[in-house]
Amino acid sequence: MAIIRTKDLTKTYHTRIKAEGLKAGFSSLLKPEYKDVTAVNGIDLEIEKGEIIAFIGPNGAGKSTFIKMLCGILYPTSGEISVLGMSPIEKRRSLTMKIGTVFGQKSQLWFHLPALDSFTLLAAIYEISDAERTRRVGELSERLDLTEFLTTPVRRLSLGQRIRCEIAASLLHEPQLLFLDEPTIGLDIVGKQAVREVILESNRDRGTTVFLTSHDPMDVEHLAQRTVVIDNGKIVVDASLEQLKREYIKERVIEISFVTPQRLPQLDNVKVTVEEGGLKVRLMVQDNLEEILRNLSTLEGIADITISHPPMEEIIASIFRKQGEVG
Amino acid sequence: MKKHLKILKCYFRLNLASAVEYRASFISQAFGMALSNSTFIFFWWIAFSQLGGNIADYSFLDVIFIWAVTSTGYGLSKIFFANASRITQLISTGELDTYLLQPCNILLSVISAGTTLTAYGDFCYGIILMAIGYTRDIYAWGWFIVGVFIYGILLTAITVFTHSLSFYMGDATVLGALSTEFAINFAIYPEKIYAPLIRTLMYSLVPVGIAVHIPLSLYREFSFEVTLAAVVTVIGYCCFTYWFFGRGLKRYESGNMIATRI
Repeated sequence: MAIIRTKDLTKTYHTRIKAEGLKAGFSSLLKPEYKDVTAVNGIDLEIEKGEIIAFIGPNGAGKSTFIKMLCGILYPTSGEISVLGMSPIEKRRSLTMKIGTVFGQKSQLWFHLPALDSFTLLAAIYEISDAERTRRVGELSERLDLTEFLTTPVRRLSLGQRIRCEIAASLLHEPQLLFLDEPTIGLDIVGKQAVREVILESNRDRGTTVFLTSHDPMDVEHLAQRTVVIDNGKIVVDASLEQLKREYIKERVIEISFVTPQRLPQLDNVKVTVEEGGLKVRLMVQDNLEEILRNLSTLEGIADITISHPPMEEIIASIFRKQGEVG
Repeated sequence: MKKHLKILKCYFRLNLASAVEYRASFISQAFGMALSNSTFIFFWWIAFSQLGGNIADYSFLDVIFIWAVTSTGYGLSKIFFANASRITQLISTGELDTYLLQPCNILLSVISAGTTLTAYGDFCYGIILMAIGYTRDIYAWGWFIVGVFIYGILLTAITVFTHSLSFYMGDATVLGALSTEFAINFAIYPEKIYAPLIRTLMYSLVPVGIAVHIPLSLYREFSFEVTLAAVVTVIGYCCFTYWFFGRGLKRYESGNMIATRI
Protein backbone atom coordinates (compact mmCIF):
# COMPACT_ATOMS: atom_id res chain seq x y z
CA MET A 1 0.00 0.00 0.00
CA ALA A 2 1.39 3.39 -1.00
CA ILE A 3 1.88 5.56 2.07
CA ILE A 4 2.91 8.60 0.02
CA ARG A 5 1.52 9.32 -3.42
CA THR A 6 2.10 12.46 -5.47
CA LYS A 7 0.83 13.14 -8.96
CA ASP A 8 2.17 15.93 -11.14
CA LEU A 9 3.11 17.85 -7.99
CA THR A 10 4.36 21.34 -8.77
CA LYS A 11 5.42 24.30 -6.68
CA THR A 12 6.20 27.66 -8.22
CA TYR A 13 7.47 30.65 -6.27
CA HIS A 14 6.53 34.11 -7.45
CA THR A 15 9.76 35.99 -6.79
CA ARG A 16 10.59 39.66 -7.07
CA ILE A 17 13.57 40.46 -9.26
CA LYS A 18 16.02 42.75 -7.50
CA ALA A 19 18.55 44.43 -9.72
CA GLU A 20 21.91 45.57 -8.39
CA GLY A 21 22.57 49.15 -7.30
CA LEU A 22 20.68 52.04 -5.70
CA LYS A 23 19.05 53.34 -8.89
CA ALA A 24 17.76 49.90 -9.80
CA GLY A 25 16.56 49.52 -6.20
CA PHE A 26 14.44 52.70 -6.48
CA SER A 27 13.03 51.76 -9.86
CA SER A 28 12.15 48.32 -8.51
CA LEU A 29 10.33 50.07 -5.65
CA LEU A 30 8.17 52.01 -8.11
CA LYS A 31 7.82 49.35 -10.76
CA PRO A 32 8.52 45.93 -9.27
CA GLU A 33 9.21 43.05 -11.62
CA TYR A 34 8.52 39.44 -10.80
CA LYS A 35 9.49 36.07 -12.15
CA ASP A 36 8.18 32.57 -11.52
CA VAL A 37 10.66 30.04 -10.19
CA THR A 38 9.57 26.41 -10.40
CA ALA A 39 11.10 24.56 -7.45
CA VAL A 40 9.21 21.29 -7.93
CA ASN A 41 8.16 20.43 -11.45
CA GLY A 42 5.47 17.76 -11.90
CA ILE A 43 6.75 15.04 -9.57
CA ASP A 44 5.00 11.63 -9.62
CA LEU A 45 6.11 9.44 -6.73
CA GLU A 46 4.80 6.47 -4.76
CA ILE A 47 6.35 5.21 -1.54
CA GLU A 48 5.28 1.97 0.08
CA LYS A 49 4.76 1.38 3.79
CA GLY A 50 7.96 0.38 5.60
CA GLU A 51 10.34 1.68 2.91
CA ILE A 52 13.40 3.80 3.64
CA ILE A 53 13.77 6.32 0.83
CA ALA A 54 16.75 8.56 0.27
CA PHE A 55 15.71 11.69 -1.54
CA ILE A 56 18.87 13.29 -2.80
CA GLY A 57 19.95 16.07 -5.10
CA PRO A 58 22.23 19.09 -5.33
CA ASN A 59 21.48 22.31 -3.43
CA GLY A 60 18.43 24.06 -4.86
CA ALA A 61 17.15 20.90 -6.56
CA GLY A 62 13.76 21.16 -4.82
CA LYS A 63 14.23 18.55 -2.05
CA SER A 64 13.16 20.75 0.87
CA THR A 65 10.22 22.24 -1.04
CA PHE A 66 8.99 18.74 -1.89
CA ILE A 67 9.33 17.45 1.68
CA LYS A 68 7.60 20.58 3.04
CA MET A 69 4.63 20.02 0.73
CA LEU A 70 4.37 16.42 1.94
CA CYS A 71 4.32 17.65 5.56
CA GLY A 72 1.70 20.34 4.91
CA ILE A 73 4.05 23.30 5.48
CA LEU A 74 3.82 24.56 1.90
CA TYR A 75 0.80 24.74 -0.38
CA PRO A 76 1.43 23.16 -3.80
CA THR A 77 0.80 25.28 -6.89
CA SER A 78 -0.78 22.30 -8.66
CA GLY A 79 -0.95 18.52 -8.58
CA GLU A 80 -2.10 16.00 -6.01
CA ILE A 81 -0.62 14.75 -2.73
CA SER A 82 -1.77 11.98 -0.47
CA VAL A 83 0.20 11.13 2.67
CA LEU A 84 -1.13 8.27 4.82
CA GLY A 85 -4.34 8.58 2.80
CA MET A 86 -4.78 12.26 3.68
CA SER A 87 -4.29 15.57 1.98
CA PRO A 88 -1.58 17.42 3.98
CA ILE A 89 -3.32 20.75 3.38
CA GLU A 90 -6.86 19.73 4.28
CA LYS A 91 -5.96 17.35 7.13
CA ARG A 92 -2.83 18.99 8.51
CA ARG A 93 -3.67 18.34 12.16
CA SER A 94 -4.66 14.68 11.68
CA LEU A 95 -1.60 14.07 9.53
CA THR A 96 0.88 15.66 11.93
CA MET A 97 -0.37 13.30 14.66
CA LYS A 98 1.01 10.43 12.58
CA ILE A 99 4.24 11.86 11.20
CA GLY A 100 7.52 12.72 12.87
CA THR A 101 10.06 15.19 11.57
CA VAL A 102 13.68 16.03 12.15
CA PHE A 103 14.81 19.07 10.27
CA GLY A 104 18.50 19.33 11.11
CA GLN A 105 18.36 23.12 10.79
CA LYS A 106 15.34 23.67 13.05
CA SER A 107 14.96 22.60 16.63
CA GLN A 108 11.90 21.36 18.49
CA LEU A 109 13.75 21.69 21.78
CA TRP A 110 13.76 24.69 24.12
CA PHE A 111 17.28 26.08 24.19
CA HIS A 112 17.44 27.13 27.87
CA LEU A 113 15.58 24.13 29.28
CA PRO A 114 16.34 20.42 29.62
CA ALA A 115 15.08 18.18 26.80
CA LEU A 116 12.80 16.50 29.34
CA ASP A 117 10.73 19.71 29.58
CA SER A 118 10.36 19.85 25.80
CA PHE A 119 9.18 16.23 25.85
CA THR A 120 6.48 17.20 28.38
CA LEU A 121 5.22 19.94 26.04
CA LEU A 122 5.29 17.60 23.03
CA ALA A 123 3.37 14.97 25.02
CA ALA A 124 0.63 17.56 25.66
CA ILE A 125 0.59 18.53 21.98
CA TYR A 126 0.39 14.89 20.84
CA GLU A 127 -2.18 14.01 23.53
CA ILE A 128 0.04 11.44 25.26
CA SER A 129 -0.96 10.61 28.84
CA ASP A 130 1.53 11.19 31.68
CA ALA A 131 2.03 7.46 32.30
CA GLU A 132 2.56 6.76 28.60
CA ARG A 133 4.94 9.72 28.31
CA THR A 134 7.06 8.39 31.18
CA ARG A 135 7.19 4.95 29.54
CA ARG A 136 8.13 6.28 26.09
CA VAL A 137 10.72 8.76 27.38
CA GLY A 138 12.31 5.92 29.38
CA GLU A 139 12.37 3.66 26.34
CA LEU A 140 13.80 6.33 24.02
CA SER A 141 16.37 7.38 26.61
CA GLU A 142 17.61 3.82 26.72
CA ARG A 143 17.67 3.38 22.93
CA LEU A 144 19.34 6.72 22.29
CA ASP A 145 21.45 6.75 25.44
CA LEU A 146 19.98 10.04 26.69
CA THR A 147 19.66 9.32 30.42
CA GLU A 148 22.86 11.13 31.39
CA PHE A 149 21.88 14.50 29.93
CA LEU A 150 18.08 14.43 29.89
CA THR A 151 17.94 17.03 32.67
CA THR A 152 20.74 19.25 31.31
CA PRO A 153 19.68 22.48 29.56
CA VAL A 154 19.85 21.97 25.79
CA ARG A 155 22.25 24.89 25.37
CA ARG A 156 24.89 22.89 27.28
CA LEU A 157 24.59 19.76 25.12
CA SER A 158 26.97 18.81 22.34
CA LEU A 159 25.57 18.80 18.80
CA GLY A 160 25.46 14.99 18.79
CA GLN A 161 23.56 14.89 22.09
CA ARG A 162 21.15 17.56 20.85
CA ILE A 163 20.40 15.70 17.61
CA ARG A 164 19.75 12.51 19.59
CA CYS A 165 17.26 14.47 21.70
CA GLU A 166 15.69 15.86 18.51
CA ILE A 167 15.26 12.31 17.20
CA ALA A 168 13.70 11.25 20.51
CA ALA A 169 11.31 14.24 20.28
CA SER A 170 10.27 13.20 16.78
CA LEU A 171 9.68 9.58 17.84
CA LEU A 172 7.85 10.35 21.09
CA HIS A 173 4.40 9.99 19.52
CA GLU A 174 5.44 6.81 17.66
CA PRO A 175 4.90 8.14 14.13
CA GLN A 176 4.10 5.88 11.19
CA LEU A 177 6.13 8.07 8.86
CA LEU A 178 9.37 9.84 9.61
CA PHE A 179 10.67 12.77 7.57
CA LEU A 180 14.36 13.41 8.10
CA ASP A 181 15.88 16.45 6.44
CA GLU A 182 19.66 16.38 6.90
CA PRO A 183 19.45 14.54 10.27
CA THR A 184 23.20 14.01 10.53
CA ILE A 185 24.29 17.50 9.48
CA GLY A 186 27.29 18.65 11.53
CA LEU A 187 27.68 15.37 13.47
CA ASP A 188 30.91 13.46 13.98
CA ILE A 189 31.25 9.84 12.80
CA VAL A 190 30.09 8.35 16.13
CA GLY A 191 27.09 10.68 16.26
CA LYS A 192 26.15 9.82 12.68
CA GLN A 193 26.34 6.11 13.40
CA ALA A 194 24.14 6.45 16.50
CA VAL A 195 21.49 8.34 14.54
CA ARG A 196 21.55 5.82 11.69
CA GLU A 197 21.15 2.92 14.12
CA VAL A 198 18.06 4.46 15.71
CA ILE A 199 16.47 5.10 12.32
CA LEU A 200 17.10 1.52 11.21
CA GLU A 201 15.80 0.18 14.53
CA SER A 202 12.63 2.19 14.25
CA ASN A 203 12.09 0.93 10.70
CA ARG A 204 12.83 -2.69 11.67
CA ASP A 205 10.91 -2.87 14.95
CA ARG A 206 7.92 -0.63 14.24
CA GLY A 207 7.74 -0.66 10.45
CA THR A 208 8.22 3.11 10.37
CA THR A 209 8.47 4.45 6.83
CA VAL A 210 11.44 6.81 6.52
CA PHE A 211 11.79 9.64 4.02
CA LEU A 212 15.33 10.93 4.18
CA THR A 213 17.15 13.80 2.53
CA SER A 214 20.86 14.05 3.05
CA HIS A 215 24.01 15.34 1.45
CA ASP A 216 25.97 12.62 3.22
CA PRO A 217 26.41 9.66 0.84
CA MET A 218 27.04 7.39 3.82
CA ASP A 219 23.52 8.09 5.11
CA VAL A 220 22.21 6.87 1.76
CA GLU A 221 24.48 3.85 1.72
CA HIS A 222 23.69 2.76 5.30
CA LEU A 223 19.99 3.54 5.41
CA ALA A 224 18.26 3.65 2.06
CA GLN A 225 16.61 0.75 0.30
CA ARG A 226 15.59 3.00 -2.55
CA THR A 227 17.12 6.22 -3.84
CA VAL A 228 15.30 9.00 -5.61
CA VAL A 229 17.51 11.62 -7.21
CA ILE A 230 15.99 15.00 -7.97
CA ASP A 231 17.45 17.84 -10.01
CA ASN A 232 15.82 21.07 -11.20
CA GLY A 233 12.57 20.02 -9.52
CA LYS A 234 12.29 16.74 -11.46
CA ILE A 235 13.05 13.13 -10.59
CA VAL A 236 16.04 12.01 -12.62
CA VAL A 237 16.67 8.63 -11.01
CA ASP A 238 14.40 6.34 -9.00
CA ALA A 239 16.18 3.07 -8.23
CA SER A 240 17.19 0.65 -5.51
CA LEU A 241 20.70 1.05 -4.14
CA GLU A 242 21.86 -2.06 -6.03
CA GLN A 243 20.30 -0.85 -9.27
CA LEU A 244 21.94 2.49 -8.75
CA LYS A 245 25.34 0.89 -8.46
CA ARG A 246 24.70 -1.50 -11.34
CA GLU A 247 23.19 0.88 -13.84
CA TYR A 248 24.80 4.17 -13.08
CA ILE A 249 28.29 3.06 -12.27
CA LYS A 250 30.20 1.03 -14.79
CA GLU A 251 33.41 1.64 -12.90
CA ARG A 252 35.08 -0.78 -10.52
CA VAL A 253 37.94 -0.16 -8.11
CA ILE A 254 40.71 -2.77 -8.03
CA GLU A 255 43.11 -2.44 -5.11
CA ILE A 256 46.23 -4.62 -5.15
CA SER A 257 48.88 -5.02 -2.45
CA PHE A 258 52.26 -6.50 -3.45
CA VAL A 259 54.93 -8.24 -1.40
CA THR A 260 57.62 -6.36 -3.38
CA PRO A 261 57.12 -3.29 -5.57
CA GLN A 262 55.87 -4.24 -9.04
CA ARG A 263 55.70 -2.55 -12.38
CA LEU A 264 52.26 -2.75 -14.01
CA PRO A 265 51.80 -3.74 -17.65
CA GLN A 266 50.38 -1.21 -20.12
CA LEU A 267 46.59 -0.95 -19.46
CA ASP A 268 44.15 0.97 -21.67
CA ASN A 269 41.34 3.13 -20.24
CA VAL A 270 42.50 2.66 -16.64
CA LYS A 271 43.28 5.35 -14.09
CA VAL A 272 46.20 4.09 -11.96
CA THR A 273 47.23 5.43 -8.54
CA VAL A 274 50.48 4.05 -7.10
CA GLU A 275 51.05 4.26 -3.34
CA GLU A 276 53.80 3.28 -0.88
CA GLY A 277 56.48 3.14 -3.57
CA GLY A 278 54.68 0.59 -5.69
CA LEU A 279 53.56 -1.72 -2.86
CA LYS A 280 49.92 -0.69 -3.36
CA VAL A 281 48.09 0.27 -6.55
CA ARG A 282 44.52 1.44 -7.10
CA LEU A 283 42.96 1.01 -10.53
CA MET A 284 39.74 2.66 -11.70
CA VAL A 285 38.42 0.32 -14.37
CA GLN A 286 35.65 1.23 -16.84
CA ASP A 287 33.87 -1.62 -18.66
CA ASN A 288 36.93 -3.78 -19.52
CA LEU A 289 37.22 -5.55 -16.14
CA GLU A 290 37.75 -9.05 -17.59
CA GLU A 291 40.60 -7.97 -19.86
CA ILE A 292 42.32 -6.03 -17.08
CA LEU A 293 42.11 -8.98 -14.67
CA ARG A 294 43.64 -11.22 -17.34
CA ASN A 295 46.57 -8.79 -17.73
CA LEU A 296 47.01 -8.48 -13.98
CA SER A 297 47.10 -12.26 -13.50
CA THR A 298 50.58 -12.29 -15.07
CA LEU A 299 51.96 -10.25 -12.18
CA GLU A 300 53.89 -11.94 -9.40
CA GLY A 301 54.04 -11.31 -5.64
CA ILE A 302 50.42 -10.26 -5.14
CA ALA A 303 49.61 -10.21 -1.38
CA ASP A 304 45.99 -9.10 -1.62
CA ILE A 305 43.48 -8.01 -4.24
CA THR A 306 39.99 -6.50 -3.81
CA ILE A 307 37.40 -5.43 -6.36
CA SER A 308 34.68 -3.01 -5.28
CA HIS A 309 32.25 -0.31 -6.39
CA PRO A 310 33.42 3.25 -6.00
CA PRO A 311 32.20 4.93 -2.78
CA MET A 312 28.62 6.28 -2.70
CA GLU A 313 29.97 9.80 -2.89
CA GLU A 314 31.43 9.11 -6.33
CA ILE A 315 28.23 7.39 -7.48
CA ILE A 316 26.12 10.41 -6.63
CA ALA A 317 28.62 12.83 -8.14
CA SER A 318 28.66 10.69 -11.27
CA ILE A 319 24.84 10.80 -11.55
CA PHE A 320 24.86 14.59 -11.24
CA ARG A 321 27.67 14.85 -13.79
CA LYS A 322 25.76 12.67 -16.25
CA GLN A 323 22.57 14.69 -15.74
CA GLY A 324 24.56 17.87 -16.32
CA GLU A 325 25.95 16.48 -19.58
CA VAL A 326 22.47 15.40 -20.74
CA GLY A 327 20.97 18.74 -19.72
CA MET B 1 -10.57 23.18 24.20
CA LYS B 2 -9.26 21.06 27.10
CA LYS B 3 -6.23 20.14 24.97
CA HIS B 4 -5.55 23.79 24.12
CA LEU B 5 -5.73 24.77 27.78
CA LYS B 6 -3.30 22.00 28.66
CA ILE B 7 -0.88 23.17 25.94
CA LEU B 8 -1.27 26.79 27.11
CA LYS B 9 -0.48 25.68 30.68
CA CYS B 10 2.59 23.79 29.44
CA TYR B 11 3.83 26.81 27.46
CA PHE B 12 3.33 29.08 30.49
CA ARG B 13 5.30 26.67 32.67
CA LEU B 14 8.13 26.40 30.13
CA ASN B 15 8.21 30.17 29.53
CA LEU B 16 8.42 30.84 33.25
CA ALA B 17 11.06 28.14 33.72
CA SER B 18 13.03 29.66 30.82
CA ALA B 19 12.71 33.13 32.39
CA VAL B 20 13.84 32.09 35.86
CA GLU B 21 16.79 30.19 34.40
CA TYR B 22 18.54 33.57 34.85
CA ARG B 23 16.99 34.60 38.20
CA ALA B 24 18.85 37.86 38.78
CA SER B 25 18.00 39.11 35.30
CA PHE B 26 14.34 38.14 35.74
CA ILE B 27 13.93 39.90 39.11
CA SER B 28 15.84 43.04 38.13
CA GLN B 29 13.97 43.44 34.83
CA ALA B 30 10.52 42.87 36.35
CA PHE B 31 11.22 45.19 39.29
CA GLY B 32 12.86 47.79 37.02
CA MET B 33 9.79 47.93 34.79
CA ALA B 34 7.44 48.47 37.75
CA LEU B 35 9.75 51.26 38.98
CA SER B 36 9.88 52.87 35.53
CA ASN B 37 6.07 52.83 35.26
CA SER B 38 5.71 54.48 38.67
CA THR B 39 7.57 57.61 37.46
CA PHE B 40 4.77 58.26 34.93
CA ILE B 41 2.05 58.17 37.56
CA PHE B 42 4.20 60.46 39.70
CA PHE B 43 4.18 63.04 36.86
CA TRP B 44 0.40 62.72 36.58
CA TRP B 45 0.12 63.31 40.33
CA ILE B 46 2.19 66.50 39.99
CA ALA B 47 0.07 67.67 37.03
CA PHE B 48 -3.19 67.14 38.93
CA SER B 49 -1.72 68.81 42.06
CA GLN B 50 -0.74 71.88 40.03
CA LEU B 51 -3.86 72.14 37.84
CA GLY B 52 -6.38 70.69 40.27
CA GLY B 53 -9.78 69.14 39.35
CA ASN B 54 -9.97 67.29 36.02
CA ILE B 55 -7.82 67.05 32.90
CA ALA B 56 -9.88 66.37 29.74
CA ASP B 57 -12.74 65.13 31.96
CA TYR B 58 -10.50 62.63 33.78
CA SER B 59 -9.75 62.84 37.51
CA PHE B 60 -6.48 61.55 39.01
CA LEU B 61 -8.34 58.42 40.12
CA ASP B 62 -9.57 57.89 36.54
CA VAL B 63 -5.99 58.14 35.28
CA ILE B 64 -4.96 55.58 37.90
CA PHE B 65 -7.72 53.27 36.58
CA ILE B 66 -6.70 53.50 32.90
CA TRP B 67 -3.02 53.12 33.82
CA ALA B 68 -3.80 50.09 35.98
CA VAL B 69 -5.85 48.39 33.24
CA THR B 70 -3.23 49.15 30.57
CA SER B 71 -0.29 48.02 32.68
CA THR B 72 -1.82 44.75 33.92
CA GLY B 73 -3.48 44.06 30.54
CA TYR B 74 -0.17 44.66 28.75
CA GLY B 75 1.55 42.39 31.28
CA LEU B 76 -1.08 39.69 30.73
CA SER B 77 -0.59 39.79 26.96
CA LYS B 78 3.20 39.76 27.16
CA ILE B 79 3.39 37.06 29.84
CA PHE B 80 1.22 34.63 27.91
CA PHE B 81 1.43 35.71 24.27
CA ALA B 82 4.71 37.64 23.85
CA ASN B 83 5.61 35.55 20.81
CA ALA B 84 2.94 37.41 18.81
CA SER B 85 5.50 40.17 18.29
CA ARG B 86 7.95 37.63 16.79
CA ILE B 87 5.58 36.54 14.01
CA THR B 88 7.40 38.60 11.36
CA GLN B 89 10.70 37.01 12.36
CA LEU B 90 9.17 33.52 12.37
CA ILE B 91 7.81 34.10 8.86
CA SER B 92 11.01 35.52 7.38
CA THR B 93 13.31 32.87 8.87
CA GLY B 94 11.02 29.93 8.17
CA GLU B 95 10.68 29.13 11.89
CA LEU B 96 6.92 28.73 11.50
CA ASP B 97 7.69 25.25 10.15
CA THR B 98 8.08 23.89 13.69
CA TYR B 99 4.53 24.99 14.60
CA LEU B 100 3.01 23.82 11.31
CA LEU B 101 4.35 20.35 12.02
CA GLN B 102 2.45 20.03 15.29
CA PRO B 103 -1.14 18.82 15.63
CA CYS B 104 -2.53 21.86 17.38
CA ASN B 105 -3.90 25.31 16.66
CA ILE B 106 -1.02 27.10 14.90
CA LEU B 107 -1.82 30.65 16.00
CA LEU B 108 -2.35 29.70 19.65
CA SER B 109 0.84 27.66 19.63
CA VAL B 110 2.89 30.42 17.96
CA ILE B 111 1.81 33.26 20.24
CA SER B 112 2.10 31.20 23.44
CA ALA B 113 5.67 30.06 22.82
CA GLY B 114 7.39 33.09 24.36
CA THR B 115 7.28 35.48 27.28
CA THR B 116 8.71 38.90 28.18
CA LEU B 117 10.50 39.20 31.51
CA THR B 118 9.52 42.84 32.11
CA ALA B 119 5.83 41.95 31.64
CA TYR B 120 5.72 40.46 35.14
CA GLY B 121 6.58 43.94 36.47
CA ASP B 122 3.87 45.54 34.32
CA PHE B 123 1.32 42.98 35.48
CA CYS B 124 2.01 43.57 39.18
CA TYR B 125 2.26 47.35 38.83
CA GLY B 126 -1.37 47.69 37.63
CA ILE B 127 -2.63 45.67 40.58
CA ILE B 128 -0.59 47.81 43.01
CA LEU B 129 -2.08 50.97 41.46
CA MET B 130 -5.61 49.61 41.89
CA ALA B 131 -4.84 48.63 45.47
CA ILE B 132 -3.73 52.21 46.16
CA GLY B 133 -6.48 54.02 44.23
CA TYR B 134 -9.55 51.77 44.65
CA THR B 135 -8.68 49.76 47.76
CA ARG B 136 -12.13 48.44 48.69
CA ASP B 137 -14.21 49.46 45.67
CA ILE B 138 -15.32 46.00 44.50
CA TYR B 139 -17.28 47.49 41.57
CA ALA B 140 -14.12 49.22 40.27
CA TRP B 141 -12.11 46.01 40.71
CA GLY B 142 -14.75 44.15 38.67
CA TRP B 143 -14.43 46.56 35.72
CA PHE B 144 -10.65 46.51 36.15
CA ILE B 145 -10.62 42.73 35.68
CA VAL B 146 -12.90 43.00 32.63
CA GLY B 147 -10.68 45.74 31.17
CA VAL B 148 -7.49 43.78 31.80
CA PHE B 149 -8.78 40.71 29.98
CA ILE B 150 -10.06 42.73 27.04
CA TYR B 151 -6.87 44.80 26.81
CA GLY B 152 -4.73 41.65 26.96
CA ILE B 153 -6.75 39.97 24.22
CA LEU B 154 -6.94 43.08 22.02
CA LEU B 155 -3.26 43.94 22.33
CA THR B 156 -2.43 40.37 21.29
CA ALA B 157 -4.87 40.55 18.37
CA ILE B 158 -3.49 43.93 17.23
CA THR B 159 0.06 42.55 17.35
CA VAL B 160 -0.95 39.41 15.45
CA PHE B 161 -2.80 41.46 12.84
CA THR B 162 0.05 43.87 12.11
CA HIS B 163 2.72 41.15 12.09
CA SER B 164 0.54 38.97 9.82
CA LEU B 165 0.93 41.69 7.22
CA SER B 166 4.40 40.16 6.72
CA PHE B 167 2.72 37.31 4.84
CA TYR B 168 1.45 39.84 2.30
CA MET B 169 3.99 42.67 2.14
CA GLY B 170 7.28 41.42 3.56
CA ASP B 171 8.82 42.76 6.74
CA ALA B 172 6.18 44.30 9.04
CA THR B 173 8.41 44.66 12.12
CA VAL B 174 8.12 48.45 12.21
CA LEU B 175 4.33 48.38 11.77
CA GLY B 176 4.12 45.83 14.57
CA ALA B 177 6.17 47.99 16.93
CA LEU B 178 4.15 51.09 15.96
CA SER B 179 0.85 49.37 16.62
CA THR B 180 2.02 48.42 20.11
CA GLU B 181 3.07 52.04 20.72
CA PHE B 182 -0.36 53.25 19.60
CA ALA B 183 -2.08 50.60 21.72
CA ILE B 184 -0.25 51.92 24.79
CA ASN B 185 -0.51 55.66 24.06
CA PHE B 186 -4.22 55.49 23.19
CA ALA B 187 -4.85 53.79 26.52
CA ILE B 188 -2.84 55.77 29.08
CA TYR B 189 -4.10 59.29 28.33
CA PRO B 190 -7.65 60.69 28.66
CA GLU B 191 -9.33 60.00 25.34
CA LYS B 192 -10.50 63.60 24.86
CA ILE B 193 -6.97 64.89 24.45
CA TYR B 194 -6.95 63.15 21.05
CA ALA B 195 -8.48 64.62 17.87
CA PRO B 196 -11.73 62.98 16.66
CA LEU B 197 -9.92 61.15 13.83
CA ILE B 198 -7.48 59.56 16.27
CA ARG B 199 -10.38 58.68 18.56
CA THR B 200 -11.98 56.81 15.65
CA LEU B 201 -8.74 54.86 15.30
CA MET B 202 -8.77 53.86 18.96
CA TYR B 203 -12.16 52.23 18.49
CA SER B 204 -11.48 50.65 15.09
CA LEU B 205 -8.00 49.80 13.77
CA VAL B 206 -6.26 49.83 17.18
CA PRO B 207 -9.37 49.40 19.36
CA VAL B 208 -7.82 49.61 22.82
CA GLY B 209 -10.31 52.33 23.78
CA ILE B 210 -12.79 49.48 24.22
CA ALA B 211 -10.56 47.88 26.84
CA VAL B 212 -9.70 50.98 28.84
CA HIS B 213 -11.96 54.01 28.34
CA ILE B 214 -15.21 52.05 27.95
CA PRO B 215 -14.79 50.02 31.20
CA LEU B 216 -14.11 53.35 32.93
CA SER B 217 -17.27 54.92 31.49
CA LEU B 218 -19.26 51.77 32.38
CA TYR B 219 -17.90 51.96 35.90
CA ARG B 220 -19.17 55.52 36.10
CA GLU B 221 -22.53 54.71 34.48
CA PHE B 222 -23.52 51.30 33.14
CA SER B 223 -25.01 51.04 29.64
CA PHE B 224 -26.19 47.76 28.14
CA GLU B 225 -25.95 49.08 24.55
CA VAL B 226 -22.33 50.22 24.99
CA THR B 227 -21.41 46.87 26.61
CA LEU B 228 -23.00 44.94 23.74
CA ALA B 229 -21.31 47.08 21.07
CA ALA B 230 -17.96 46.66 22.82
CA VAL B 231 -18.34 42.86 23.07
CA VAL B 232 -19.34 42.57 19.40
CA THR B 233 -16.38 44.73 18.30
CA VAL B 234 -13.88 42.71 20.36
CA ILE B 235 -15.18 39.38 19.05
CA GLY B 236 -15.30 40.73 15.48
CA TYR B 237 -11.75 42.08 15.68
CA CYS B 238 -10.36 38.82 17.07
CA CYS B 239 -12.20 36.69 14.47
CA PHE B 240 -10.95 38.92 11.66
CA THR B 241 -7.36 38.69 12.95
CA TYR B 242 -7.61 34.89 13.20
CA TRP B 243 -8.90 34.68 9.62
CA PHE B 244 -6.27 37.14 8.37
CA PHE B 245 -3.44 35.07 9.90
CA GLY B 246 -4.86 31.81 8.48
CA ARG B 247 -5.21 33.32 5.02
CA GLY B 248 -1.63 34.59 5.23
CA LEU B 249 -0.37 31.09 6.10
CA LYS B 250 -1.33 29.96 2.59
CA ARG B 251 1.25 32.43 1.26
CA TYR B 252 3.96 31.21 3.65
CA GLU B 253 7.12 30.26 1.78
CA SER B 254 9.19 28.76 4.61
CA GLY B 255 12.99 29.01 4.59
CA ASN B 256 16.11 27.15 5.61
CA MET B 257 17.65 29.40 8.23
CA ILE B 258 19.18 27.56 11.18
CA ALA B 259 16.89 28.23 14.16
CA THR B 260 16.70 27.47 17.87
CA ARG B 261 13.77 27.78 20.28
CA ILE B 262 14.63 30.19 23.09
